[in-house]
Amino acid sequence: MALITHPTLPEFEYFRPGTLVEASDFLVRHAAEARPFLGGTDVFVRMRDGVLTPKYLVDVKNLPGMNDLHFDPLSGLTIGAAVNMNRVILSPEVQEYYPLLADACRSVASYQLRNRATIVGNICNASPAGDTLGACLAFESVLYIQGADGMRQESLANFFLGPGKTTLKVGDVAIALHLPPPPAGSQGAYLKLGRNKLSDLSIVGVTALGYPHSGTLSGYRFRLILASVAPVPFVVKEAEAYLANTPISPDSIREAALLAAEACAPIDDVRGSARYRQQMVKKLSARALNEVWDKLKK
Amino acid sequence: MAFHQINVTVNGETEQVVVPSNMTLMRMLRESLALTGTKNGCSAGECGACTVLMNGEPVNSCMVLAVECDGAEIVTVEGLAGDQQLDPIQEAMIEVGGVQCGFCTPGILISSRALLDRNPNPSEDEIREALVGNLCRCTGYVRIVESVRAAARR
Amino acid sequence: MTESNLQSAPSPVGENKPRIDAREKVTGAAIFADDLQFGNALLHARIKRSPYPHALIKRIDISRASALPGVKAVVTGEDFPGYIGLYLQDRYIFCRDRVRYVGDPVAGVAAISEEIAQKALDLIEVEYEVLEPVFDPEYGASADAPLLHPDLEKYVVANFIFPQAGTNISNHFKIRKGDVESAWEKCAGVIERRYRIPHIQHVPIEPHVAIAKVDETGEITLWGSSQSPFAQRSLIAQSMGISPSKMRVIAPFVGGGFGCKAGVSMEALAVALATKVKGHPVKLLLTREEEFFTAFVRQGLVAYFKIGCDETGRLLAMENKFFWDGGAYTEYGVNITRASGYSSSGPYEVPNVKTDSCCVYTNHPVGGPMRGFGMPEMHAGLEQCIDELAQQIGMDAVEFRRINCLKTGSTLVTGSKMHPTGLPQCIEKTAEAIGWGKKAPPSAPNKRRGKGLALMWKAPAMPPNAGSSAWVELAEDGTLNVGVGGQDLGQGVFTVAAQMAAAAMGVPYESVRIATPVDTRYSPYEWQTVASRLTWSMGNAIVNATRDARRQILNTVAEAWEESPEDLDIVNGVVISFKSEKEITLKNLVIYGLPKPNDQGWRGGPVVGRGSFMPTYVTGLDAETGQGERAVVHYTTGAQAVELEVDLETGRIEILKGVSAFDVGKAINPELVKAQMEGGFVQGMSSALFESLQLRNGVVQNPSFVDYRIATSTDTPKDLQAFIVEVPQEDGPWGARGIGEHSMVPTIPAIANAIYDAVGIRFEGPPFTAEKVYLAMLDAGIVK
Repeated sequence: MALITHPTLPEFEYFRPGTLVEASDFLVRHAAEARPFLGGTDVFVRMRDGVLTPKYLVDVKNLPGMNDLHFDPLSGLTIGAAVNMNRVILSPEVQEYYPLLADACRSVASYQLRNRATIVGNICNASPAGDTLGACLAFESVLYIQGADGMRQESLANFFLGPGKTTLKVGDVAIALHLPPPPAGSQGAYLKLGRNKLSDLSIVGVTALGYPHSGTLSGYRFRLILASVAPVPFVVKEAEAYLANTPISPDSIREAALLAAEACAPIDDVRGSARYRQQMVKKLSARALNEVWDKLKK
Repeated sequence: MAFHQINVTVNGETEQVVVPSNMTLMRMLRESLALTGTKNGCSAGECGACTVLMNGEPVNSCMVLAVECDGAEIVTVEGLAGDQQLDPIQEAMIEVGGVQCGFCTPGILISSRALLDRNPNPSEDEIREALVGNLCRCTGYVRIVESVRAAARR
Repeated sequence: MTESNLQSAPSPVGENKPRIDAREKVTGAAIFADDLQFGNALLHARIKRSPYPHALIKRIDISRASALPGVKAVVTGEDFPGYIGLYLQDRYIFCRDRVRYVGDPVAGVAAISEEIAQKALDLIEVEYEVLEPVFDPEYGASADAPLLHPDLEKYVVANFIFPQAGTNISNHFKIRKGDVESAWEKCAGVIERRYRIPHIQHVPIEPHVAIAKVDETGEITLWGSSQSPFAQRSLIAQSMGISPSKMRVIAPFVGGGFGCKAGVSMEALAVALATKVKGHPVKLLLTREEEFFTAFVRQGLVAYFKIGCDETGRLLAMENKFFWDGGAYTEYGVNITRASGYSSSGPYEVPNVKTDSCCVYTNHPVGGPMRGFGMPEMHAGLEQCIDELAQQIGMDAVEFRRINCLKTGSTLVTGSKMHPTGLPQCIEKTAEAIGWGKKAPPSAPNKRRGKGLALMWKAPAMPPNAGSSAWVELAEDGTLNVGVGGQDLGQGVFTVAAQMAAAAMGVPYESVRIATPVDTRYSPYEWQTVASRLTWSMGNAIVNATRDARRQILNTVAEAWEESPEDLDIVNGVVISFKSEKEITLKNLVIYGLPKPNDQGWRGGPVVGRGSFMPTYVTGLDAETGQGERAVVHYTTGAQAVELEVDLETGRIEILKGVSAFDVGKAINPELVKAQMEGGFVQGMSSALFESLQLRNGVVQNPSFVDYRIATSTDTPKDLQAFIVEVPQEDGPWGARGIGEHSMVPTIPAIANAIYDAVGIRFEGPPFTAEKVYLAMLDAGIVK
């Protein structure tokens, strides 16, 4: 924690490009001194704390496509980078086809902050505590990025490198997140443990998604992703594999939760101890998986 | 640092303001327009004392740049009351006793107004959830929640 | 109409009048100090602070900072040699030779913008020689610890505070009552415990702000968010070596105080800077991060309790040791040590008591007054020990309290007798409301339910001669203007002041104005808005002032009507005679008087009433025994009970129901009193479940809302009840005494006792976070 913070925001230049290419070029030209921003809820706070010191902030919110939110049953859901979390929560298509994502968004901060916070921003900020990252990973999301070399897509699976570190390069502007159509019959749960009842950052966050899958021994495929217990959103491959190979029951779920607790590597920090986090991974993974299983069974 | 000229409608009046890049909407309201009803409690998007409506939706004005508000419609606590009378949420807050020191009150009123606009008959849980981003240290929230319910009944 | 009828005038005292300032606040019109407009002459201040908990200042170079364009002044402690302090003058305005906590002010900058001032801070070079720090009060009190205030014995100190020369103990308060040593043998049950209560902060939603200006004549004006305009004037003036008459303090609305805006913390910094830029107002606004640790915090406590009772459950002995982590400067905190000392029995009659309450310097943030003034910290441990002692001898915890609690005439730990008190009624009301003795099943298989109860008492902690004063005047239209020096922090004192003035005068509440903002140039003196003292003390002053005005009016009218003033009264703004049934409105007469008959002149004239109140009966306490005839003015007593559930899977506590009952003597405005009980309960609950300043090597690890969690709208219990008990205070206006602090005092132990009831675990101290509870249950084998 910085000893002294700025009273509000330090000095910087605000630049609003007219096109994506213009944005990308600007970012390349002012490499290391410029940063794109959307809602600003992460960037402004870190600038105030002196952690980020960009000379230029590039407002990419109103570029083409950034505000689109559309769903197509064949191709899936596309969330423009500037679409705020409240919009995502309220979308009837998200509620019907990706309710887990809506639940994850709903757990973030406050209604006011969700009017500015974006899922793409959450992703690019790459905090291991990011509430929506688990759902995005569970749905096998893909990030559309405009870079110095043109447009490209990146699967989120390899996107996160460490706290605040991603595969984004200088000149990159993330413009949308795409979620393929959800697996048929999928059910999800996001359990977030904060210090208050609501609005806190997660001490531990558990994202669980399950769906019928003919290709596994158990007949189901589960995704289990943990927040705040590793440098990046932590996909518990051991638990996922176990649940693919073992008939699903409260016992096997308990075992999967134990695997999750053993696999993750939480740390002691000002919010919680490693020991408590590990215990909560065990408890909340079981709770989340059971919730999903109960919904799948119906 | 560059300055930007913006046109922003605040409480129904269109203003032309010149703002530096790093000025937040909160500071623009309080300093450039002398609308001091919106309060500065943390400048970090946590306490909600700076909540205003931006294009009809509540935001923490300390987390919005003034320059982003070009063309936007802003409503602050000063804009809640009509010409002749107070907004029902203001009346309720007085009657039920949801005000103590008054510092969180403007932000609470804006968040409550926005809640009632999108959900005219909220449950107690919905009220609490909608106000979770508005911290109050005096009231314990009891009479604030009651005020919103009373306003919903009007 | 006799004076005693004044006391029984029913209306508007006792009515739920709407807050006098509510409309201003809901429309955004209410002006707080940061809202004041000063124009282009305003300069902005930022403070350079020590990064070390304990160090000598070897060298400060301000030349580069002073040269930065836009910087108008840079100051250090070199220019301000005066000590400052309320009960003990132990700090400088800016550090001079050494720094004593991380955040200690070393230099200040005034510039044309906050950003330039902030940049200038980085250009100030300070060379330190790091010294060995003290982070624990027991260590600090020991002979091994380095001395943080080597000049302690030279400091100017109030005569009821006892610093120990050559140590880090800035106050040592003792109780030696009866014979504790031989009493233990007679005890059937004895409980011995240690409690650690962490530092917390007040977290007013409005951070500290002060604007100071010095004009060409040298007169200082200080605007600020302040609980104590008059104390700030006298303390700062005294430190700067000027007469208080050369300083003026103006105090607009306060956005939450809870004690942190009492005394002087950061205000003197703005004044010091202002002296270097005559004619310019200089504003210092603390960031939220600075608010958490650079103004006042609530000090930590290490408390040892040993309490014993006989087989019938009667308390026989208590031996208590308090080590207060007072922080770098204890100019205010020394009195917390004293107050906890003379309250150390809790609200119980105990014949044998030995207490040692020590205020210890540490290299931690500055401990100051916070709601409860030592009572929440002390009761946190004591009320748990009471529960444990009751359990040890097989008695119900509420029954144990019924037997031992203070009643009218009980002998107090300082030797005097308890005045009439409703504490027994408070116990009954809370026990009944929480359903004591009845166990409800948990709401789910993974929850455990429990109930807990705790009592409290507190007296206003203040010097024996803390005074209040008031004036009243009327306008031509008969409206009443009341001048006060106390501040409305949100507790509602302006409203009850208006109610009392209206009742005492005989005018409608709606026609009363309180003369705000408080301005030491025009407002009458008030010691401070602390200690839950205003309704009682300022209320008495207002009644006296109103009586004075009333006398003038009735004398004039009686003379005009050739009647006796005793046959006259003022009702609803009209002077009436019971004898002749004549009537005359107050309008105009209160300014212009009444004409004599036959054009022979006029009588009367502008009516101005004045009144003051100062307790005259508080005696000293013996320095060795803590015994005295009358230690304090009075006590407010009360009780709280909670019902809660513990989630066995996560350790999280959910408060289902909270009930409070306090004896306020007379509720001038019952809804406002209940609002204090609600707000205090939630603040107490927040301190029980979430709050602590996480100090590591003197550095606060969590100085922001992100990691210093307070209760939000979703954390408040759905069922919160407040009961008013009224056993009149003999010298209170209409029998009233205070309530502002008390509702935060018993909450931690009530919750702790309920957690024990639910899962059988106790903790060394709050906060009872989910993690702490879960890991304790895991270690105890209650969960796997």
